[in-house]
Amino acid sequence: MIADDPIAAFRVEAGEVLDQVEQALLDLGHRLDDADLVNAVFRGLHTLKGSGAMFGFDALAGFTHHCETAFDRVRKGQVPATAGLVSVILSAQDHMRALVEGDAPAADGDAILARLQAAIDEASGTTPAAASAPAATGWQIAFRLPADAMANGTNPLMLLDELRELGDCTVVARTDKVPPLADLVPTECHIGWDVTLLGDVKRDDIEDVFIFVMDDMELSIEPLGLADADAAADAAGTDEAPVLAEAAAPVATAATADSPAARSTAKAEESVRVPAGRLDALMDRVGELVIAQSRLSQCADRGQDLVLRSVSEEIERLAGELRDTMMVLRMVPVGSLFSRFRRLIHDLARDTGKTIEFETEGEATEVDKTVIERLFDPMVHLIRNSCDHGLETPEDRIAAGKPAAGSVRLAAHQAGGEVVITIRDDGRGINRARVRAKAEANGLIQPDQALNDHELLQMIFAPGFSTAATVTNLSGRGVGMDVVKRTIEGLRGSIDVQSTEGEGSLIALRIPLTLAIIDGLLVRAGSGRYVIPLTAVEECIELSLEDDMRHRGRSLITLREKLVPFLRLREIFATDTRPDPFQKIVVVSTPQGRVGLVVDQIIGNHQTVIKPMSALHRDAATFAGATILGDGEVALILDIAQLIALGQPREETLRAAG
Amino acid sequence: MTASILAVDDSASLRMAIRIALTGAGYTVTEAGDGVEGLTKATSTKFDMIVTDLNMPNMDGLSMIRELRKQPAQAGVPIIFLTTESDPEMKNQAKAAGATGWLVKPFVPDQLVKVARKVLGR
Amino acid sequence: MQPDEHCQATGLVPRNSDRQLEVLVFDLGGQSFALEAVLVREILDMMPETRVPGAPALVGHVINFRGRIIPLADLHLAFGMTVPAPTKDSRIVVIELDLGGDATIIGLRTDKVHEVATFSAATSEDAPVVGLRWKREHVRSLVRHGNDDIVVLPDLEAIFQTITHGAAAASIH
Repeated sequence: MIADDPIAAFRVEAGEVLDQVEQALLDLGHRLDDADLVNAVFRGLHTLKGSGAMFGFDALAGFTHHCETAFDRVRKGQVPATAGLVSVILSAQDHMRALVEGDAPAADGDAILARLQAAIDEASGTTPAAASAPAATGWQIAFRLPADAMANGTNPLMLLDELRELGDCTVVARTDKVPPLADLVPTECHIGWDVTLLGDVKRDDIEDVFIFVMDDMELSIEPLGLADADAAADAAGTDEAPVLAEAAAPVATAATADSPAARSTAKAEESVRVPAGRLDALMDRVGELVIAQSRLSQCADRGQDLVLRSVSEEIERLAGELRDTMMVLRMVPVGSLFSRFRRLIHDLARDTGKTIEFETEGEATEVDKTVIERLFDPMVHLIRNSCDHGLETPEDRIAAGKPAAGSVRLAAHQAGGEVVITIRDDGRGINRARVRAKAEANGLIQPDQALNDHELLQMIFAPGFSTAATVTNLSGRGVGMDVVKRTIEGLRGSIDVQSTEGEGSLIALRIPLTLAIIDGLLVRAGSGRYVIPLTAVEECIELSLEDDMRHRGRSLITLREKLVPFLRLREIFATDTRPDPFQKIVVVSTPQGRVGLVVDQIIGNHQTVIKPMSALHRDAATFAGATILGDGEVALILDIAQLIALGQPREETLRAAG
Repeated sequence: MTASILAVDDSASLRMAIRIALTGAGYTVTEAGDGVEGLTKATSTKFDMIVTDLNMPNMDGLSMIRELRKQPAQAGVPIIFLTTESDPEMKNQAKAAGATGWLVKPFVPDQLVKVARKVLGR
Repeated sequence: MQPDEHCQATGLVPRNSDRQLEVLVFDLGGQSFALEAVLVREILDMMPETRVPGAPALVGHVINFRGRIIPLADLHLAFGMTVPAPTKDSRIVVIELDLGGDATIIGLRTDKVHEVATFSAATSEDAPVVGLRWKREHVRSLVRHGNDDIVVLPDLEAIFQTITHGAAAASIH
């Protein structure tokens, strides 16, 4: 658990810091002279270096130190920020992520640092002179501690010991201010010291000894042997002054509350980090409460007690609200997902030589955290497709009368229980003729097969389909749109494509708000109750006696002049009770077309919390999970795709027999 | 005898980091999760040094330092506070409250050990 | 990890030691069985069960255990016994078992739950190679208890591991 493991906590925090650094770098790429962004990057690197070292990530701390040092020169205005430098730091930032996860090859780091040095040299135009202040040959130190120093935990003897560690010391106590014994407060320090320190010691090291008391004490540190030390002191003086001045300037700008960086931190709402397991536990408790409440309302309805009934209704309302609130806790804005693609677009633009404008809309739309995580990979693929295949080169665009810069827009909005996420580009659109040719070449359709436009476009989601004439570096490696489609359907969502040739394409993903809840149709087959996901259900009809009697023969019904195969859940689930006289068919849509599921009874719509099945039931693949019904009993949720796959061989044997 | 140090911080991970750093250097470490707990523990047991965060629930670090310094038994006990930035105003307040020194977060274990050696001399 | 903890976590009966073992004794098909008390989460009255079509018969049902859906296992089947109809003495013993690193909560149907007893490791014996009515690999050890009663300590990991390792055949048709 995060709270108990500093390493895990560090990894999470480091990831957030790196996210901020990345955003600042991407912005900096557009506004190279923005001092606030430079400071934001520097602060991020600085924090990462410090906390990395603190939690034992030495490689990270070491690597980040070099980047921080380099960037510090930008911050101090010694080197201007350049696109090249930003780009190197971006890749350095990737390497840092790998170091945080502990799987970064050291050679990568060295290569990046070499590029970093080159970028810095190029930006500065000069090779920086390594200037370090020559140290004095010795120092004359005089100090007197504040009166309350000893009571507050400072032991002067230890300060003297520390000075002795730096070099040979001659210590003389100054007792001139010690009061008469009667007035002496024993916890106060009245003695001063003169120390002659010999050796090649830096002034900073001496000041470090007094660091905790320096502001309140009397302290003078003078170099020894003025004759030789003069030159050294002058050199140190001239070397120090400009550095101090430069350091002061950025601090001042960072402190102005109106800077964009300050505003964005202020915007972030106060939040609490909770391990996902605790949310799940809370969800379980809420689920139990809802069940207990429904038993209570059954009791209340049976009796005549009006007070009990009104209390029961009150609790029913509260339990429902509690469950809704619980759902909201798991929701995160899609903005967190969208912002992760800015970097992708940046890299794609660089690799393809295209200019890409990236816009997002509806970032505040909220989706279940689990859904967000699972959306990332398919969206990466879709965005790559848009940039790589969709958008034309600037030359082609100008030739087509379009602006040179292509546009990719991500948008999200909520529609009922779903979130619609669209990816729109203004590229060349999908070439129907090529899709058709490819589909024919791959044997997906017959040469003379008639397809409407929608069906034709759907071909791009067929397994093994790829419209790119050549496979580029960017997309089309191994995964295709079929994988994207399957992933989205695995989230109980759907994917749709629209495209106008020459004008661009629009991919729309419809995703349920949450995976934790499902809208289902509760049915009964034998004595078992099952939930069919409502998104799959097309309609419910009665199985005619005629069709029902055809036990041996083709299990097909005619639905609006089309033959629809059906499966009897009673048979698949080997039910041993007598069938109800009037069997019902729930028609569900599947990738293979419509299929009827024959059940004994349709109980009704049921919104329900999905619970996972135990590891011991992993082999029972026909079920996507289970849920607890109002009476406390368990109902299994059907996995339609698996169920059809399982029913298929039976159907084929039956057909062969018939 | 090893020196005993009280670590007061509301962040469990930071307390753990402090404990790992200091026990690794041969000190014994007692933890407290906020100012009240820190004050209670420091009053019942005498520590050789106290390391405390400033921002904490129940009782913040400044108040705890002030309360501790009111106790004659705590005179001379070094109190090091942890601060996120080298904020001079915060430093002055903590010093005025009776702190001995400070350490800027984030810190590496060596820095904390160095501070402990500095104020304890061992 | 201490050797003792390891024994508890995996259900091993510690050997070569005088350690006492706390167990819960229960009946299955007229035979006494025992499992380590530390594994037991709760003992429940019988409750509505939901059959899982396609699941191995040994774990053919699930129940609602305080809002969690847990498998209900019938050890009768692991020991070749026929499953009797529930009686007023039937109970579900809920245990938490470490299966391949995952803490898994399982309900066990039992005919009757007796008491928590203390076995001394000295009275435990390895299962004999011959003369056993049950699959030897399902038995961890045998313990003499009371009036020469033989109590079986089942090897729960071995019994359930056959399922998690996918060895069990689906019985859907």
